[in-house]
Amino acid sequence: MSNLISYQDMSISLSGRLILNIDQLAIPFRQCTLLTGRNGSGKTTLLKIMSGLLKPDSARIDYQGLNLSWRQAKPYIQKDTIYLHQQPYLFDSTVFNNIAYGLYRNGENKTSVHRKVNQALEWANLSHLAHQPANSLSGGEKQRVALTRARILSPSLLLLDEPTASMDSESKQQTSLLLQRLNAEGLTIIISSHESHTVSHLIDRHLHLENGRMKEINNASQNNKVTPFKTTKNTLTNE
Amino acid sequence: MNDINQATINAFQLLLSGNAGIWEIISLSFTVSLSAILIASPFALVIAFFLAFFQFPGRRILISVFNTFMSVPAVIIGLALYLLLSRSGPFGDLQLLFTSKAMIIGQILLSFPLLVAMAHASFQAADRRAWETAITLGAKPYRAFFTLAHEVRFGLIAAVVAGFGRVIAEIGCSMMVGGNILHATRNIPTAIALETSKGEFSHGIALGIVLLVLALGLNAGVSMVQGKGGLHS
Repeated sequence: MSNLISYQDMSISLSGRLILNIDQLAIPFRQCTLLTGRNGSGKTTLLKIMSGLLKPDSARIDYQGLNLSWRQAKPYIQKDTIYLHQQPYLFDSTVFNNIAYGLYRNGENKTSVHRKVNQALEWANLSHLAHQPANSLSGGEKQRVALTRARILSPSLLLLDEPTASMDSESKQQTSLLLQRLNAEGLTIIISSHESHTVSHLIDRHLHLENGRMKEINNASQNNKVTPFKTTKNTLTNE
Repeated sequence: MNDINQATINAFQLLLSGNAGIWEIISLSFTVSLSAILIASPFALVIAFFLAFFQFPGRRILISVFNTFMSVPAVIIGLALYLLLSRSGPFGDLQLLFTSKAMIIGQILLSFPLLVAMAHASFQAADRRAWETAITLGAKPYRAFFTLAHEVRFGLIAAVVAGFGRVIAEIGCSMMVGGNILHATRNIPTAIALETSKGEFSHGIALGIVLLVLALGLNAGVSMVQGKGGLHS
């Protein structure tokens, strides 16, 4: 399977401590990867590097067949990757304006933005919240708005940092459903999560970070935490 | 007591009758101070942002310098600027001394440290996720800066209002580099000092009322802004 992006010899130290030292990390197209690791194992740092928000000390990057340095790869990475924080940040405005933000930054005109945002709101069943102040939403609703805001920009890679942390079961289910639909649309997703059971049905692959090193975990070695991968996955299409 | 009452009544009459002399002084004060704040604010906000969001050598020293200069008396700034702009000073050839331009420069110097320090505190308190979210959603750094500034707008507005409040009411620097020249560099604080020394209390009170109304208006304005939201695309 061809890779969307792969990293070789990626390392980063923060405050004098080696956080990541990864020999090889390849992200295949359209796969959903679960990233696990203990608190402080470097999951968030890795996701921030992969989104272009944080510069590694060293890394060689193969981006869709191009061998690039970090500086060369950064514009491509930032264009094609969206990172969502554990608690997504919504700007102090309405839900509509939050979802429209990236489209305006891409230079789209107002008519096009309105059309796309309304479609996206319908897609996520958020139309009723369009003109609500974003900061008045619940945690689950904020996560869904953030996912919709990401999807509307059609990224190649979506990086989610603990997307279902501290959510009630209904919100977890709704978020999980949106993620399933995004993956079904062909989006490559990496999910960092402690609660692997919530997203287990989405997962194609499981990576584990320990002492800054990455290892791939296959189904058989899983202590039933993430198994069976995608056995219940339904390929949903757009409504 | 009767004298004070009469002076206050006269002050209101002066203001309401549209006394040209009084309103010329008020107009000059606002022109000078608003110009100073409008020039200083963009630079101060950008510097404050860099100080809050980026690590670079000398950053802590710069923050300490701005915090220290916040409390420098206006008259000291005025003295330094006077020496620089006087005929024998390094910038004497520019012939700026005793002009409104010199007053604007003085007020920029006065307000700048306050603007930087207060804006820095606002940016420092900002949620770093706002910046990262803007960048990951495709905003160029300059656009992400405006988004972040919007998120902390109340703190930034408070900084600008405080800066304006500092310069509109200062007397030391304006007196030193402006010279309190009628129709040219006489502003509200220098006029109040002069009129009071002449015993023309009604003029002083009238101008004092303007400063009080201004303070009330600025506070009300900030409160109104705080009640509104909206992310401008």
